[in-house]
Amino acid sequence: MAGTESLRDVTLRPWPAPKKEELSQEDLFLQIQQLTTERGHLRDITEKSLHEDIAAGKDVPDEAKEDVESGAKEKDAPTKQEMLEKVFNAQREMYGHLEWAKFAAENALDLISLVLSQDPNKRSAASFSHTFREMGLSQGIPFGSFGISRENHEFHVRKPDEILRLQEQEDRQVVAAKGSRMESLDSAVDEILKAAKKLEKEVRRETKYWKEIVSVSDKGWPIQRLRQNARHVPFGVRYGLPEASDHFKARGFAPLNMDKDGSIILDPALRLKPKTFRVRISENGRIIGTSQLPIEAECKELPIEKSIQLARDSLLEEELYHEMSLETRQLLAYGVEFRDSVIHVDAPRMGGTSHSRKLLIDCIPRDDSVPGGQERSHDWLAQNVAEALRLLLAHEHSMRLYRRSQLPPPLTGRAREKPPPPLLRTLLAVFRHLEGVGSLHVYLETVARTLNSAGLDVTLTTTLETSWAKLTESLKESSKKGLSATDQLLDVFMKPFDGRATLTLPSWSGQSESMTIATRTIVGQPTFGTEHKLTMPSSLTSDLGLFQELKFSVVEEVKSYIDWILTLQIAHRLVKSEYSSRVVIKTHGQRVTIVSRGTKKGSTASKDISVEVQHGELKVTATAVNPQEGAEDSERVHTWNGQKEAISLKEVVKSWVE
Amino acid sequence: MHELLLYGQVPAGRHDQVLKILAGVAAMQPHRIVERRIIYKPQREPEEPGSNLRRGGTQAVAVKQTKQTAAPALHYTKLVQRLSEEEFGIDAGLPHENTKSLSADVHDGQEPVWSMLFEDVPDTGDRGVSIRFTNTTDLLSGDPHAFMMASGPNSFVTEYYVEGHRYVHGNVVIYLHRVLHEPGVRNLQEAPKVTPPSFSSLELLDPSGAYIFEAKVRVNEFNNSTVLESGVSELKKFQKEMKGCVELALPDRLSLDTRVKYKPPHAPAANTQARPR
Repeated sequence: MAGTESLRDVTLRPWPAPKKEELSQEDLFLQIQQLTTERGHLRDITEKSLHEDIAAGKDVPDEAKEDVESGAKEKDAPTKQEMLEKVFNAQREMYGHLEWAKFAAENALDLISLVLSQDPNKRSAASFSHTFREMGLSQGIPFGSFGISRENHEFHVRKPDEILRLQEQEDRQVVAAKGSRMESLDSAVDEILKAAKKLEKEVRRETKYWKEIVSVSDKGWPIQRLRQNARHVPFGVRYGLPEASDHFKARGFAPLNMDKDGSIILDPALRLKPKTFRVRISENGRIIGTSQLPIEAECKELPIEKSIQLARDSLLEEELYHEMSLETRQLLAYGVEFRDSVIHVDAPRMGGTSHSRKLLIDCIPRDDSVPGGQERSHDWLAQNVAEALRLLLAHEHSMRLYRRSQLPPPLTGRAREKPPPPLLRTLLAVFRHLEGVGSLHVYLETVARTLNSAGLDVTLTTTLETSWAKLTESLKESSKKGLSATDQLLDVFMKPFDGRATLTLPSWSGQSESMTIATRTIVGQPTFGTEHKLTMPSSLTSDLGLFQELKFSVVEEVKSYIDWILTLQIAHRLVKSEYSSRVVIKTHGQRVTIVSRGTKKGSTASKDISVEVQHGELKVTATAVNPQEGAEDSERVHTWNGQKEAISLKEVVKSWVE
Repeated sequence: MHELLLYGQVPAGRHDQVLKILAGVAAMQPHRIVERRIIYKPQREPEEPGSNLRRGGTQAVAVKQTKQTAAPALHYTKLVQRLSEEEFGIDAGLPHENTKSLSADVHDGQEPVWSMLFEDVPDTGDRGVSIRFTNTTDLLSGDPHAFMMASGPNSFVTEYYVEGHRYVHGNVVIYLHRVLHEPGVRNLQEAPKVTPPSFSSLELLDPSGAYIFEAKVRVNEFNNSTVLESGVSELKKFQKEMKGCVELALPDRLSLDTRVKYKPPHAPAANTQARPR
């Protein structure tokens, strides 16, 4: 305790400060830095607080205290001499180490350089150390005079402990090698198993893919190798129709992708929703009939062949719609309109109904079902129109092939124009023809019935369309080679339609003079519609002073003209020939005057017989000309309208005139 | 009308294969064609080459010679009869049938059966394809042989048959055919047979049975260079397409010569020597 007692007065002082009193700027910074690291912030460091800290003995490490205590006890203060000696010693020691390091490094360098200098290419004095150059090379040590070789230790006898160590090491290596080999074998087995599994999967996948390919091919779809040999898409299927127009032909091909499990994935082109075109019949804005294809079941569960077939069908329907929408541009004059992607076609008014009936044709997804609650009374018509249009496009396809296989015309500067296929035009022509011929024939039949009931001999033969009538014969003796019967059959519809009706003129006796009405329908040049050509016998025309051939474009005109002709025939030829001497023709009308044989001579009573054929009715009017005869029977009328009548025209006129 | 032509040869063994390849290329089925061709020779003797230059010497010294035109050459012409296999006779056929004569009558709307074919020598120009002028006149009525004998006047030379298949690929008409002839009777004949002999009795002209591959583009506006170029390029494109299947080549121009050769008359030698050259 005495030591501690003696230390009581010792104060700690800093290392003697440099001589100069004022700190340089750098020293000041150092001090500040020291302070901040030791005490945190500068703000709390005041002289007072430092004093308090010292007094409290805070922040002094224990060892430092002891060191201070012991050091202070042993060497009170090292003398300057000792300090210098210590520094010198340290310096010397350091130099010694450095020398050693340099020497060893140079030796190593020299050794390597000397070894390397065996090779003349690496023989350079600069690679040796300075010392060796001076002391060795210049003294005559030749290059390449030092060699290194591997030593054979075969007969080297090792010390037992070394042997033991080596043995142990070897054993350990063997064990380690065994372990690692086992591990790698393990992983190899894993890999092989994995590969086998994968191979098995691949084989299963390929088998499945090929099985499906074969089944697609067996169904008759042409399979084709893809040009770019993509890995999962080796094949494609061509399902488009071979003679479709270019755009649709290009769409008619789809690659058959391979799925993960090998089944064929549908290509996007195949997976498109199949479309169909739809014909609706609207009457006064109300839909009364819709065409429809059978709706297929859920798309996802279909086998591949089925979806290929659906895609093919859809392609045909789309092409049909496309061609028709192009065709509408030419047919505006015929009442065909294209509005909101719907083709509006005026439908015929069959049976004289006054409803405005229209066909609406559009293209819809095939799955769309017809909303219920619609009137289905004209589904048959819509369905037939749709089927007819499909047939026409199919016919156009085979005609394209036929035209393509004919000898091409020699090349000229003018490009050959490709007319769009007549689809709507054919439809329109059929409608118009049936409408025109139908109403005309209905009228002619009424007239014929009326005239027959009036005792006039009339026969009527009608043909709706001449080439349809003799279709079988024309097909049988056809000379066109390379066209199937179906195409020849459909080819009939591409030609102008010819209807023909022959009506024998009314006569008392069986002599036959007949007039012919030929109806020709072309949507295009030269008639642009229906034309009725009326041909009359020359005897009639010469008698009445008429033209032998007349052309009409409207059925109403034909009707009224035939009415007029029949009137004239009956009045001017039949009645006139019957009462040949007594007939006086005053006007060029439907009126003839017959001078009756009076019972008394001198009093000549004459009657005007007026004949009128109108709307299938025959009306005969007799009017007394002589006013002095009295008006008791001034006008008598008899009408035939087709019902069975006992009395004939001849008898009626006779009864009046006699 | 001008024809642009390229020819190739197909050995008999490859015929079926080429037929199938062509069906794929042209995307159509082959069209079977059997034809009879009858060759006529003009009766007038051709003039000696260069004789027109010597003719009509003038005494006017200063008159410049007008443009020297070549002597109009005389050409062999052909009659072509389109046949079907049923039209061939049963047996070999008699060489002369005086009772019947050929008839080219066809009904309205039918394809003409007989036509007269004139083919010029191919042009000398080199465009990579053979170009020649041709003219086809369809005969619609009458006796074609009598017509040919009277017009010209011509004399009958020989007749032969061509059978093959035709394809149309764009504007290229592909005609794969071979020539048949009736053996033996050629020298005796003086007129074409009215009914052809049976098809089986005909023999191949080339006994190896090789087929001639003819690719033809017909050009109407020969003077329009763009039209001609498009025709030539289409034919060459086809030639390239067929490379490796059938090698199409430009035929030797003179092998397609249809001109009647000038033969010097059998005059005594003294006569020719007397003519000053």
